[in-house]
Amino acid sequence: MSQKPRPELVIDGFPGKRRPRWVELATSADHKDLGRILIGGSLGFLFIALVELLLMRLQLAIPENTFLSPVAFNRMLSLYGTDAIFLFALPLALGLFYYVAPLQVGSRGTALPRLGQIGVALWVMGAVVLYAGFLFTPSEAGVNPLAPLSEIAFLSNNGVDAWATATGLATLGFVFIAIDLLTTLRNLRAPGMAWRRVPVFSWAAAVCCWLLLTIGPVLLAALTMLMIDRNYDGIFFADGSGGAPLLWQHFSWIFFSGAYMLILIFAFGAIAEIVAAFSGRPLANRGVVMGSLAAIAVLGTLAWMQNMLTAPIGIGWMYFAMLMSLALIVPFGLIVFNLITTMLGGVLRMRAPLLFALGAISSISIGLAAEIDHSMVAAAWELKNTTDSTAATHFALVGGAVFGGFAALYFWFPKMTGRTMGENLARISFGTMAVGILLAFVPLFFAGGEQGEVVDAYKFFDHTGVNAYNLIASIGALVLAAGIVMTLVNAILSRVNGPEAGHDPWGGDSLEWFTLSPPEPHNFDVLPDVRSARPMRDIRDAIAHRTGSTAAPAQETQPVA
Amino acid sequence: MTPHSPGTDQIDTLLQIGFVAAAIVVVAINVALLYAVRRNRARRGVAPRPAGSSRGGQLRVGAALTAFAAVIFILGVIFTGKARETPESGSAGLAAAKSKPLTIKATGQQWLWRYDYPNGAFSYYKLVVPVDTAVELELLSTDVVHTWNVPDLSGKRDAVPGKTNKVVFLTDEEGEYGGQSATLSGQAYGAMRTAVEVVSPQAYEEFVKQQRADINSAQDRVVGLIENGEVP
Repeated sequence: MSQKPRPELVIDGFPGKRRPRWVELATSADHKDLGRILIGGSLGFLFIALVELLLMRLQLAIPENTFLSPVAFNRMLSLYGTDAIFLFALPLALGLFYYVAPLQVGSRGTALPRLGQIGVALWVMGAVVLYAGFLFTPSEAGVNPLAPLSEIAFLSNNGVDAWATATGLATLGFVFIAIDLLTTLRNLRAPGMAWRRVPVFSWAAAVCCWLLLTIGPVLLAALTMLMIDRNYDGIFFADGSGGAPLLWQHFSWIFFSGAYMLILIFAFGAIAEIVAAFSGRPLANRGVVMGSLAAIAVLGTLAWMQNMLTAPIGIGWMYFAMLMSLALIVPFGLIVFNLITTMLGGVLRMRAPLLFALGAISSISIGLAAEIDHSMVAAAWELKNTTDSTAATHFALVGGAVFGGFAALYFWFPKMTGRTMGENLARISFGTMAVGILLAFVPLFFAGGEQGEVVDAYKFFDHTGVNAYNLIASIGALVLAAGIVMTLVNAILSRVNGPEAGHDPWGGDSLEWFTLSPPEPHNFDVLPDVRSARPMRDIRDAIAHRTGSTAAPAQETQPVA
Repeated sequence: MTPHSPGTDQIDTLLQIGFVAAAIVVVAINVALLYAVRRNRARRGVAPRPAGSSRGGQLRVGAALTAFAAVIFILGVIFTGKARETPESGSAGLAAAKSKPLTIKATGQQWLWRYDYPNGAFSYYKLVVPVDTAVELELLSTDVVHTWNVPDLSGKRDAVPGKTNKVVFLTDEEGEYGGQSATLSGQAYGAMRTAVEVVSPQAYEEFVKQQRADINSAQDRVVGLIENGEVP
């Protein structure tokens, strides 16, 4: 919050001493404070996820390693997957949406701030429960604990209960945040901000909120059933007494497919803003891009059975899953095509946000291209649950959540803190991450696709032709982690020491650049009438017109890279 | 994987098609990105072009992408259909399995596979099948979800408790093929391997007969011990 003197404010009997900053932050219902909690927290959990990933890669560096016991490995695996999805990727996306989207649509706050505050508190509680599992015993059932392994008969300790409680609390929190944000986006837009003028990132936020309202309750229902099964003799997912283990797979894959799409929609929303801003021109065919983002949410969630192609389901359902997965080629293709079209007609300033955005497109393209093979039914029979699928998922989701998330972080960090993140460290970090992700996951394509190394296993056997692949992957994971840590360090250092950014460091087109950096609690003193999809540019043009300035004002603030 | 069954031959072709499609996508996107960056890096005195939009262009791109997806879908359906076909046993195969495949029950349990042969014999870990004979595995599970996975002979299939899944393969080459279970099933999941030994029909007949006899004699001995009161 800015501490600038505001002479127009007269406050009688102001105590003179504010409460400590952390108390202010912890009790605030302001979307910007809640967004900062989500973003800061999720970046912290990214670091923890890296530690867990590196421990697993250390175990898998050499064949038949005994560094981690099988149980310890399964616990790391469960924690890593849960942390990466529920404590890093989803809250980072939601945090950025929550901070930026109300500013972009010109709102003075959110519609249901207390609901959002409860949502963030629930997420924090979920995170505490997940890691409090260490006090007794973390889950051993994997990223998606398939019934009946997750049933009390097979894992009788409290691990799965802690997992279900943690993910349930976090998911409920996400749903609450989505309700608040969606209500805001629907009802509190600035005058003139029609849906067709809403910035792409805010549109992505609305799509993601709808998606969360659809898939969140499905997981919550499934988790409730699992808890009843485990603690009250339920039979929802137990075989033989009327229950069905496959039911869990359907419910959980609907959620996880939707979450996968949510991360990509978030990433492409941010990438579209960044590519347009750093090309110096508006996004080409933004209506098509917005429609494609919505189509991804629908098709991607309907493709949930793409994860179940080896399960005993009818061949017709398998073809349906293949159709939905392959149909995704069209919206993803249109988005990437229009991003490239935007760049081709623009003048590119190669600053850190654009660099990470391009890295994200490249990485996601590898992951989604590999998913083509995983979507063709018979090919999936060979590739599913091999390290080939690990590699595809990581290219898409590290591309979306880490590269895309970092692009968004570099882009909006000046708005949140008033300071720009270090450019040199950003470049080194990007280079290290790019080398790291290729080293870490390309070998896994070969280990899984050629040699059929299976996923989630606590060891691999010697003489199966995968020793070199795994060693390279382990080294690559270390390089990738080093690159990621550099950006985390960059963010911590720049919060206090970064160069002052000003209110509009990149020459952006949307309204968040109209307010102070960081914004006042009420976001805007005055709101302009929105007349186009580029309100900030209209304001700059109006100022230039009135002052008679001939130089395009956008260029004054733009250093040429 | 090296395909050793008609089904995996088809899958192998499909994998190559998928690899080519994926390579086209990756190369096209990344080359376009690099080209855009190289050509349009900021220079002084160059202004960005104004935004253009063309509905016709978007329709053409959309149509091209749809056609690309449709071709992959159709190829996927064709090759999946071929991979699912039950192969016909050859002349060198088991005579009894000429008209319909030799059916063997494969039961997954933490953390071992059990195979039940038609004559009542069973074996753990290793499955023995005759060469040049269509073999149909009925996949069952007694506890959690397991995935039967011998890449050279067939695609993976899950054994889910309460459900039956099916794997069909035929191999014309004697030898031993390894595999490893592919769904996390608990502590010893990483060590849950299996092997398929393909032998001549005579050797197969002998194996199941011998196995049957061994099991019977072991059973008799245990029953005898219990009857004599030597064990409770």
